[in-house]
Amino acid sequence: MNDQSGTILLAILKAAFPASVPLLFAALGGLFSELSGMLNIALEGLMGAGAFFGMAAALVTGSRLAGLAGALAAAGLAAWIMGTVTLRVRANIFITGLALNLAVSGLTTFLSQLWFGTKAVVNVPLPPLSKQAFTAVILAAAAAWICCSALVLHGTTFGIRLRATGMNPTAMTALGHDPDRYRLAALLISGMASAAGGYILALSVSAYVPNIVSGRGWIALVAIYLGKRRPLAVAASCLLFALAESASNYLQGVGGMSPLIMLALPYLVTLISLVVGTGARQRH
Amino acid sequence: MRRSVDLTPGQRVALAAGTAMLLASTVLIVAAPQPVPALVQFFLKPFSSRLAFGSMLQGAVPLMIAGIGVLLAFKSSNFNLGGEGQIYAGALAACVTGLALQDATAPLVAVLASIAAGMLTGALLASISGLLKAMRGVSEMISSFLLSAAVVLLADALLTGPLQDPASNFQTTRMLSRALLLPRLLPPSRLDLAFPVALLLIGATRYLARTSRIGFELAICGTNEAFARYCGIPVEAYMVGTMAVSGALHGLAGALLVLGPYGRVMRGFSAGTGWSAISVALLAQGSEAGILPAALFFAWLKAGSDQVMIGSGIPSEFIAILQAAAMFLVTASSLPIMRRHRKIPASGVETPAAPQEPDSTGQASSEPGVTP
Repeated sequence: MNDQSGTILLAILKAAFPASVPLLFAALGGLFSELSGMLNIALEGLMGAGAFFGMAAALVTGSRLAGLAGALAAAGLAAWIMGTVTLRVRANIFITGLALNLAVSGLTTFLSQLWFGTKAVVNVPLPPLSKQAFTAVILAAAAAWICCSALVLHGTTFGIRLRATGMNPTAMTALGHDPDRYRLAALLISGMASAAGGYILALSVSAYVPNIVSGRGWIALVAIYLGKRRPLAVAASCLLFALAESASNYLQGVGGMSPLIMLALPYLVTLISLVVGTGARQRH
Repeated sequence: MRRSVDLTPGQRVALAAGTAMLLASTVLIVAAPQPVPALVQFFLKPFSSRLAFGSMLQGAVPLMIAGIGVLLAFKSSNFNLGGEGQIYAGALAACVTGLALQDATAPLVAVLASIAAGMLTGALLASISGLLKAMRGVSEMISSFLLSAAVVLLADALLTGPLQDPASNFQTTRMLSRALLLPRLLPPSRLDLAFPVALLLIGATRYLARTSRIGFELAICGTNEAFARYCGIPVEAYMVGTMAVSGALHGLAGALLVLGPYGRVMRGFSAGTGWSAISVALLAQGSEAGILPAALFFAWLKAGSDQVMIGSGIPSEFIAILQAAAMFLVTASSLPIMRRHRKIPASGVETPAAPQEPDSTGQASSEPGVTP
């Protein structure tokens, strides 16, 4: 390996760590609901809600933290609605998840037109923060989130009961616990974590860009499969997908390929890894 | 005390459709500069002229055809979420075939060939997901979505590159020759021959589902896979087959849009039609005949939201919000109700379960609910 390709690899690797952060938040959040027995296909929409409402709150207040609060509140509300309709009204979670994705993509464009007068990029002026400091903060947050979710899922009563709900809800009922409460809590956690991921994505370009999530919610879902539902392995899968993303970003700059083809690449990589990674465990 | 009542399919549809209409009215009252004209535009304008009425019916055509495709897959418990990509790719294949053949062969041959190309492309795309499910147990829902998302971007790339009309500033293919386009039924609207074709298709599917062996076996695969296996039904073949037919119908919907109202493929061609078809199939509640009213309902909402976009400047994404609202509630199987006047001992309360529907979470739903 010559010197030049070494620097390129290093650059790709360096870009992959921050790129994995939004995926990490969404995938580990989705893991909570997956372990409680519900495959949450709305991660994509919840990330989108976090990006839009977070940036809207940041634009109004001029504060990154207030933006985060906005993102968490909006996605928490969305996840709560989805959870209530699914658990109380007993609707099908795939369909309500699909509906949530559809609702977010429609609602964000609708509100963007209504509030900001444009369906295109909305720049959000924020107090200055250097690129390095931002990267350091989000990497630290991601590390904390990995530790925290692994500890909660495997080391607390709440986490054990949540996983028990996924394995055998009837046993939970027999023990006097309401499985639906754990499922609703898991959905709320997945919603808020995904929203944080989407908000970080938008913060990293200091703007709300329509369709900024562009499939990352689905990729996060596949990371849960690929990580065989273990927190650390899920985190590793996210890093793998982020590597694919930063490599395709790099190729886009160098190879002169159509950016649209490069945008399609993460979906295909995800599909291939899903095909390779499944097989051991059959679903449905 | 929280209790709930079970919903019949009819009540479910009424709940979903009613919520969509209520939400539409609320949003228009809040967001439109002048609520009353906006409400009139939304609800009545689609019926006000031959042009508007014909356009609304034309809007129902792809929803009927693709809706049947989604429904068939649903009935065999396969979820085809790749409609967007299948419609787009089918349309593109049909358009390219039509452009290649229009000067070489008779128009009828070129039309039939491009329809076949569209259907084949859709079928190929969807059967990949069916094959992956049958062979490796990969969720067809996720694989069809991922594949479709990639296909949409690749089709966009083709339209900005090799397939782009050099004479146009827009990202679109060349126009098909007039001779290839389906005859119009209600000028000046774009309603064309595809509408009766879609009606026939619904009738034929309904007939086959009720009388043919394939329709019967497919329904068994959908209701009880283990039993189907026990009966010797080739379950894997049905997985691939229904996905392929579902994809072919999406491809057909795309091809008929090219040969009908548009005459070409432009960037972003599918424009949510695939997602709308899913809403249509859900609203039809498993009935082939139900596809017709469901497609007309969504076509009406779409036509109405187009009218308020023109008339009152309400963004066209309005329709996606209404669709989502209907979708949220269309699988609701029980409705919680508040009852204060009757005290029931907490231990005796059961959360009524959905009897036939698979539970939302895929788990047994008949466990007694523990009330706080």
